[in-house]
Amino acid sequence: MQIAIAIFSRLVKAALTLLAIAVLNFFLVHAAPGDPAVVLAGEAGAADEAMIEQLRERFGLDQPFHVQLGKYVWGIVQFDLGYSFRQGAPVSQLIAERLPATLLLTMTAFGISLACGIALGVAAAARVGKASDTMLTTLALLFYATPLYWLALMAVLVFSVWLGWLPGFGYETVGANYTGLTRLLDILKHLILPALTLGLFFMSVYMRMTRASMLEVSQLDFVKTARAKGLSGPAIRRRHILRNAILPVVTLAGLQAGQLVGGAVLTETVFAWPGIGRLMFESLAARDYNTILGVFIVSAAMVILFNIITDLVYRIVDPRIGATA
Amino acid sequence: MTYLKATTFLIAAALAAPALAQQDGGRLDIVVQPEPPGLMLGLVQNGPTQMVSGDIYESLLRYTTDLEPQPSLAKSWTISDDGLVYTFKLQDGVTWHDGEPFTAADVVFSADVFLRETHARLRSSLAYVQSIEAPDDTTVVFTLKEPFGPFINAFEVGTMPIVPKHIYEGTDYATNEMNATPIGTGPFKFDKWEKGSYIHLVKNEDYYVEGLPHLDEIFYRVIPDAAARAVAFETGEVDVLPGGSVENWDVPRLTEMEGVCSTGKGWEFFAPHAWMWLNNREGPTSNKLFRQAVMYALDREFVKEVVWNGFGTVATGPISSKTNFYSDDVTIYDHNPDKAKELLAEMGYDGEPVRVLPLPYGETWQRWAEAVRQNLSEVGINVELDSTDVAGWNEKTSQWDYDMAFTYLYQYGDPALGVSRNYVASQIKKGSPWNNVEGYDNPALDEKWNAAATMVTPAERETAYAEIQKEIVDDVPVAWLLELEFPTIYRCNVKDLVTTAIGVNDGPRGAWIEQ
Amino acid sequence: MTLWKRFSSNTGAMIGVIILLLVIAIALLAPVIFPKGPWQMVQRPFLAPFSTDGLPLGTDTLGRNVAAQLAYGARVSLLVGLVSTVVALLIGVPLGAVAGFYGSWVDEGAMRFTEFFQTIPNFALAIVLVAILEPTLTSITLAIAIVSWPPVARLVRAEVMSVRKREFVDAARVAGLTRRRILVAQVLPNTVSPIIVMASLMVATAILLESSLSFLGLGDPNAMSWGYMIGAARTVIRQHWWLSFLPGIAIVITVLALNLIGEGLNDALNPHLSRKARA
Repeated sequence: MQIAIAIFSRLVKAALTLLAIAVLNFFLVHAAPGDPAVVLAGEAGAADEAMIEQLRERFGLDQPFHVQLGKYVWGIVQFDLGYSFRQGAPVSQLIAERLPATLLLTMTAFGISLACGIALGVAAAARVGKASDTMLTTLALLFYATPLYWLALMAVLVFSVWLGWLPGFGYETVGANYTGLTRLLDILKHLILPALTLGLFFMSVYMRMTRASMLEVSQLDFVKTARAKGLSGPAIRRRHILRNAILPVVTLAGLQAGQLVGGAVLTETVFAWPGIGRLMFESLAARDYNTILGVFIVSAAMVILFNIITDLVYRIVDPRIGATA
Repeated sequence: MTYLKATTFLIAAALAAPALAQQDGGRLDIVVQPEPPGLMLGLVQNGPTQMVSGDIYESLLRYTTDLEPQPSLAKSWTISDDGLVYTFKLQDGVTWHDGEPFTAADVVFSADVFLRETHARLRSSLAYVQSIEAPDDTTVVFTLKEPFGPFINAFEVGTMPIVPKHIYEGTDYATNEMNATPIGTGPFKFDKWEKGSYIHLVKNEDYYVEGLPHLDEIFYRVIPDAAARAVAFETGEVDVLPGGSVENWDVPRLTEMEGVCSTGKGWEFFAPHAWMWLNNREGPTSNKLFRQAVMYALDREFVKEVVWNGFGTVATGPISSKTNFYSDDVTIYDHNPDKAKELLAEMGYDGEPVRVLPLPYGETWQRWAEAVRQNLSEVGINVELDSTDVAGWNEKTSQWDYDMAFTYLYQYGDPALGVSRNYVASQIKKGSPWNNVEGYDNPALDEKWNAAATMVTPAERETAYAEIQKEIVDDVPVAWLLELEFPTIYRCNVKDLVTTAIGVNDGPRGAWIEQ
Repeated sequence: MTLWKRFSSNTGAMIGVIILLLVIAIALLAPVIFPKGPWQMVQRPFLAPFSTDGLPLGTDTLGRNVAAQLAYGARVSLLVGLVSTVVALLIGVPLGAVAGFYGSWVDEGAMRFTEFFQTIPNFALAIVLVAILEPTLTSITLAIAIVSWPPVARLVRAEVMSVRKREFVDAARVAGLTRRRILVAQVLPNTVSPIIVMASLMVATAILLESSLSFLGLGDPNAMSWGYMIGAARTVIRQHWWLSFLPGIAIVITVLALNLIGEGLNDALNPHLSRKARA
């Protein structure tokens, strides 16, 4: 019951936040120089005033700014993200077509980075000061300092161009008409490079955090007590330290997972991955206002969703945390 | 005897392509960059849309690489001696992709109703048209108000795509649901568009030309990164890189690969012509001496060799050498920094900085702007590079907020269609980046441009345009740079892909793959 | 003194300092070493490194000196990293301090505001901001600052809240100091060390962000930066991979150095945690 109320109030807050984001971004994108009608007309290779006027009218850009804003917000309230005049389709449809690819990419990257990050962090903490620890922490530092897009370029160069092991771009083999397991494997093959390059940076973050957190917790009193009781090293690590050390890592990860969804522009561009990050970037250049705003709102919703999930997970793992936390 | 005598072309001539061992079947993967915003060619006419939809839609004519008209939906045509009446005989047994019969009524609807409303470029040609009529189901008659030489070039698929009347009549064209699944008469039918990945077209089994098309299917592939596009070609994922889809410095490497061919043909109709608009209204660029100094300061040969990797031709003036009525009897501006400095000293240039706006179309254009900045600073001109994206570029140029701005425009085979619009004063209109953006105002020349458009014989026009070119080149209203060449790179086993003046746009119709 | 001792005994941190000093020296001396600047076309394009005298790292797509570009790029990267961090601190520190110190509705409001910014996808927001303001060094710096201040505000708020409860603050209150004075003179100085640590990491992140924006074509065309170099050379990565590789390495080394320094500072400033606990 308490949880239900907490969730409800979170949802209300979330809705208000989303609305505020919609308004703020509406101002932002409309402040950008350039006009979708001129872009669209321009691309036709010729344009006259009549055509641009006609387009502006169709896009609703001839109306006063506050009317446009009002209409947009009213639409959002009704779960209507508007229409993309450039692509001739409802924004919700455009995003729905692209979101699965983004989710697949980011969640895979997230899963890999979290699992490997924690595992490596624990391993490094257990061997603190030894050569293997130094090696792991150095590697983590290195990945932490590497520009993601550059790593992606280099990975394509090595693994798909020089070695030819993996496809360097795309979501699946086009026109192969694979079904079932073959299709799954095909998508997986395309997924490896983008997911790994996207995941490596976060893996190094989680690894460093886990390691630090493990060492910190191992200094705490209850661990000393457990040790005094004669429990073995691995048992303490598993039962006492890990459980406590992992909480802050999971929290941070949860906060980042949502950000990942809107932040995969670079990876999607380098790997020609048909996701919403690219959709946003391409729409921006064309000033396809509704589509840009739609992507913003959807990715912000993802951030909020992951925050709520993190919160719930936290609550289940650690029931001491109250509803106000 | 007038040059424009009544002429009849027969379909047999056009189809006389060697019927050797053309093999049916196979699929073609072609890069399309950027992803088109829509495929309804009557509504959207940007480059990528023309490339994909040129297989789905058709117009009355096609054009050889020498800009000679060929039959398409029209099997023959005549032009009256006074150049006023164009009569087209349509093909028999043509159906739309949804099975409905195609008739002359569709042509009248497209040209007179639909495109008049949606197609700005065609609208300016249609201004010369008195009436469009269909005396019977297979005949269309265009009657002009006055002779308009270039009118015969208006029947290209991107200029006058024929759209289905039964789907669009009486509807709101822009929001018609059928726009998502375009219906044309062309050799390929729309099958599927996986947004962000590919567009799939399949063979039109009921195509009215016996034996065509040869290919079973085409995939237009969307790959946003230029380097990834090159990799896709290398690894065999795609078969065709249309002009401009990879950066120029990749071209030699790709064409040196085994079994890879390339051609510079297939752009004759467009003849893309690059220049910098020099703002004639204000600042140093409003001074003719300054503009001439810019021409002498630029090392266009270097740009052609290094930035464009040897592709293209240094432009001599407003008209491309590939377009009709080109003349090279003009002042030639070579790379001469000393001369440029002299001119700057003569005008008393005080070092006022000029802003250069590059075209946001990828690395080649960025490098080009950087090279220009270098050239100009060598003769003492202070340059600042502006930066913006496609929308910002459109805004700045159409609102005249620049000093020098890169651009390139298509010429559509005739100065009256694609050239004069950039130089006549009646085309000085804020809000569009496709007209006289530089603000060049020369009434004496305006008259000559207008007269040349409506002269009846090509010989007369030839003389008129030669005179115009000679005069305008001395004025330097814009800094002409290069006649661009966009090589199409393809695997050599793809045959007969580029056979017309619009190349890949309508090439797959007769293309075939050697097994 | 003990602080410096603790810091200098950290090998990693000292390596970081040396690298950073080197990068700074190169950045400062760029106009002296390469008086022609990074844009001048000096030779044939695409000369490989070590192949030509006077051009140790070869030439780029237009025949410009790659070594000069790297040196000038260091200026831009460091400048953007530093200034954007300062701006982010100028937003985040006061906001976090006020929120943490005054509590109640001030805190509630400030935190809602911060959360709001954390909900908008960072990188996407930065892209939109740069596109709106048009890419110049100023707009890029500002955009980076705007997306990177929320963690600062949160950190400062948490620190202030914990310091606020300590005895010396009570003592100051008893001594009759105003609340504002207590905040500025007593509480804030005690939060400096975590802020410094965070700032050093933020400079590193800002350098990465700037290079990412440049890579997407949202760089300042009048400023040579490492991100620009990678973006410009990525289309020739197959033939001339070093053109993208070298600036990438420059970024990695600089960011790595900053991270090492940040961690060294962290360990030196928080001696109660064992040095090895934070790697």
